[in-house]
Amino acid sequence: MTGTAADFVIVGSTPLARLVAGLLAAAHGKTVVFSGESQAAYRLPRGLDLSVAPITRPETWALLGSALPETLKLLSRIGGRGAWSRLDPILFSGERTGQEGLAHIRHMALAFGHAVEPVPAAELGAGKQGLLLRDAVLLHRPVLEAALDSWLAQHHVRRFGDGDSLNLRTDGSAELVAGEERIEIRQTVLADDAAILAHAPALHWPPLLERRVNSTIFTEPTQPIAAPVMHQLDTGLTLLQQQSGQGIAAIGPGAIDPFAAALRALLGKERSFRQAGQSSYDRLMAGDAAPAVGRVGGTGPDVLAGFGPTGAFLAPIIARWLCGKADSAESAWLAARLVDRPAQSSPVSEFGTIA
Amino acid sequence: MKGQPDRLGRDERHHLQGSAIDRNKPLTFRLDGRDIHGFTGDTVLSAVLAAGIDTIGQRGDATLALSMRHAPTITPAALIGDTQRILPMERTPATDGADYVTTARKLGGNPLDRWLRRRGRSLSLDLDRPDALARPWLNSPAQDGPEADLVVIGAGVAGLSAALAAASQGLRVVVVEAAPFPGGRLGLFGTQEGEETPDGAVARLANAIARSDAITLLLGAEVFALRPGAVRLHQVEVLDGTPTGRVIDIRAPHIVLATGALERLPLFPGNRLPGVVGAHEAFELAQLYGVWHGGSALVATSSSPAYRIAMLAADAGITVPRIIDSRPRPQSRFIEFSRAYGITHAPGTIIAAVAPGSGKRGGLIATPQLSVDGYTRTEPSLTTERLIVCGGWQPDLTLWHMAGGESAWNPTSARLEPRGGLPGIAVAGSAAGWLSRSACLASGEDAVDALLGRPRQSVQEQLIDPIYETPDAAAPVGDTPAEGSPPAYLDSSWRYVERPRRTASRWPAWLPFAPKPAGWSLADTPQPLDIADIAAGVQLGAIPAASAGIVAQERVAMVVIEGAPSAPVTAARAAGPMPPPYLTGRYAGASLWSIVPEEKRVLDVGALIYADADEADPLRAIGVVVRVSGGNAVALVAGRQGQVVSVREPGRAISVTLTAAFLG
Repeated sequence: MTGTAADFVIVGSTPLARLVAGLLAAAHGKTVVFSGESQAAYRLPRGLDLSVAPITRPETWALLGSALPETLKLLSRIGGRGAWSRLDPILFSGERTGQEGLAHIRHMALAFGHAVEPVPAAELGAGKQGLLLRDAVLLHRPVLEAALDSWLAQHHVRRFGDGDSLNLRTDGSAELVAGEERIEIRQTVLADDAAILAHAPALHWPPLLERRVNSTIFTEPTQPIAAPVMHQLDTGLTLLQQQSGQGIAAIGPGAIDPFAAALRALLGKERSFRQAGQSSYDRLMAGDAAPAVGRVGGTGPDVLAGFGPTGAFLAPIIARWLCGKADSAESAWLAARLVDRPAQSSPVSEFGTIA
Repeated sequence: MKGQPDRLGRDERHHLQGSAIDRNKPLTFRLDGRDIHGFTGDTVLSAVLAAGIDTIGQRGDATLALSMRHAPTITPAALIGDTQRILPMERTPATDGADYVTTARKLGGNPLDRWLRRRGRSLSLDLDRPDALARPWLNSPAQDGPEADLVVIGAGVAGLSAALAAASQGLRVVVVEAAPFPGGRLGLFGTQEGEETPDGAVARLANAIARSDAITLLLGAEVFALRPGAVRLHQVEVLDGTPTGRVIDIRAPHIVLATGALERLPLFPGNRLPGVVGAHEAFELAQLYGVWHGGSALVATSSSPAYRIAMLAADAGITVPRIIDSRPRPQSRFIEFSRAYGITHAPGTIIAAVAPGSGKRGGLIATPQLSVDGYTRTEPSLTTERLIVCGGWQPDLTLWHMAGGESAWNPTSARLEPRGGLPGIAVAGSAAGWLSRSACLASGEDAVDALLGRPRQSVQEQLIDPIYETPDAAAPVGDTPAEGSPPAYLDSSWRYVERPRRTASRWPAWLPFAPKPAGWSLADTPQPLDIADIAAGVQLGAIPAASAGIVAQERVAMVVIEGAPSAPVTAARAAGPMPPPYLTGRYAGASLWSIVPEEKRVLDVGALIYADADEADPLRAIGVVVRVSGGNAVALVAGRQGQVVSVREPGRAISVTLTAAFLG
């Protein structure tokens, strides 16, 4: 830190936010302020970090495929072996639209060299079809978050502290006031939904981004589900089998009670459950269900939204892009997903997921 | 008293004779094949505790105490398997001739072990099973309860005061109380100058309630779900001499939460061993039922009312060797009185650990630790038959959080307190953070005014000056438990959240390769966190104080009330158009075509289409199969009529012809 100026302030609490902040400092030599809670150890998750998702665009599969080794190498160095693991998630659907989507995802995954298998109907229930994707990577947020925080400190990323105040301006710059100290920050990056909802200028709210009520329900131990991670395309409901104690974390659309009812219907009588935790919150989704990046209104703060579970794995690319160092393919992918694009007839639209 | 070793004798000199029981009406019932003797007025739990059974079972290597917050469910022996007949031991009245079994799975072992255990002080339940203490009524459908304009949850002084205030406004009121009697926790806290006695105050309010036609009092009724406008509860009532449970919903536009405060558990290894009991529970069991375990009781507290239970116990002939107080220089009228009893005081001291004693009827070995201003010194161990602990009081905001209410950590009082409001719900009494009886009474009336939109009352605490009455300290927290020590639980409920132990290592911790303490993730804890767990988590640094309120809200044990007002789930995706949006713009110049493979086969939806069979780079695909119906395939492809293209399916390429533009 120069003490008077910084290049970026990254606002957000997700691994994507931390990785972008750290990479800007560590890999690109930028001065960075990070404003985000360390909460993975005690808050319910609002999303997960998985290297696969219901992606139908070949350029996204290609980008993810190129970014994954770089990101994993970095994560292993930062968080060690406990920071991530490989598992075989299932995408499934009980509706025709979703099952067609699954078919597209299957062929796209196969084309990019992923091992994909159909899931026997007996494991999913009548009328449902599923796809098992081998060797996906899941980040372990409680472990990784602590390691990322140490990494940020190691690279002199300044943490927003108690009593500090951050004044964001509509031109994207910001001022951090910490006691007597004032730090002028050139560019703000709102790196998760909560940050965007809290700080994006209402007057220049990007029409592409839609606010949706989402919920997380954490169950007491119940019968295990068919895979460590399962995602229902029809509803956007994601199930995560907890490693400790056989509980399930479910993340998806709707307020708590109706979401709980939908979860009970999905899990069935054999996996009846009691709620061990629940929260309801707003999430953002682009109207075309694709990621949304770039400056609000062309000149405001940068936003990182709509990445679903894969955002953290694209962090090196995003950091390069923010510094103007992305290669042509990376730049083209991100330029096509600027937050100011129209949602109608979008050439980057995806099947979509929130978690 | 036959078979009741832990029932205090009838003696004019003491006040712990059991105001709820009629010693002239003995009764006997069976539990797990054992005869349990008690009196009319007992609950099943109080009679079992009086019978000397103070252990619920085993969790891991730890033996855990049976208590009012940690008791199993029971069912009539003739109706095993009927989940509708399962009852809570602590709320079920004891009835002569009843025959119950505990519903949880028993510990294993050989037949001799099992037979010997039947005669011991334990119910021998296997608490490692995730559903050991499950309450099946939480998932039961509810019947409609009485009609009401206002529901008061909790029949302590604040709740009773609220009920009378609401009735005076012409509202139909239902008061719901989990205990068999109204009054709440008032009895333990004694009186201040000029106040009527606790018993007198409760009797006055209860009589007024009884005289009111507008107020219905449901006792033995525990609310387990709450939303604005809806209350769900489980009640045990005696029908034709048989305790019976029912789940009912009460819909009312106004709800007053007067749920009182929970007693915090000091954090030390062995804090839930049989023989360790909270001050309020010890008081209630003794005062209502005359139940007391052992002839000696060590008291360890951070709150002055615990001194009162020490004096009451001494009156009843119990030896109180010492009162340990975590506060360095506590002052209280109770403390002055207890000095007159000759009880030794140990200020600035906490319990470092407790281990089981070797006596036939249990007993405990408690290790005190002087702990003042960062200085600690372990004191010689003490042997006692009972350890009465009090870690202060946490407003019970469980239902408040369940309804969506917010709370915030108060660092001064080291507790979560409610913040903000909820439509149709108000908090009163000690649940709202009030301490004095007068404030609790006034807050009950004020809660009703708030709900009815009437002018608010001024609620004022009337507390004794801190110079003379030292405020409660935070729940005592000892050193991190060593590996192999008994568990230190965060609370005394059936959640079993443990404080992590130190990891033994032959390497000094400062060495870079020394094993680091395992991270403690409460987020992964596969059970709800009770509000006292949250408070302990804040004290232990596992939850930042600023986030305590939101974590408490997130981790409350929520139960769905069907039909309660709520927003709908976002509608599932509508049937998609052709081509689906996620294919928009993927292939430049593409349009929909009917395609026919050159060989007879059904094509895969999603299969990529290439200009020639040698191409397999998905970024160079020119189209994709989008729908197959009745053997006819439709593709989105950039091509022309009659063109032959290649569909790439796993392991092979298939030639297809674009036969005609697909018009839908």
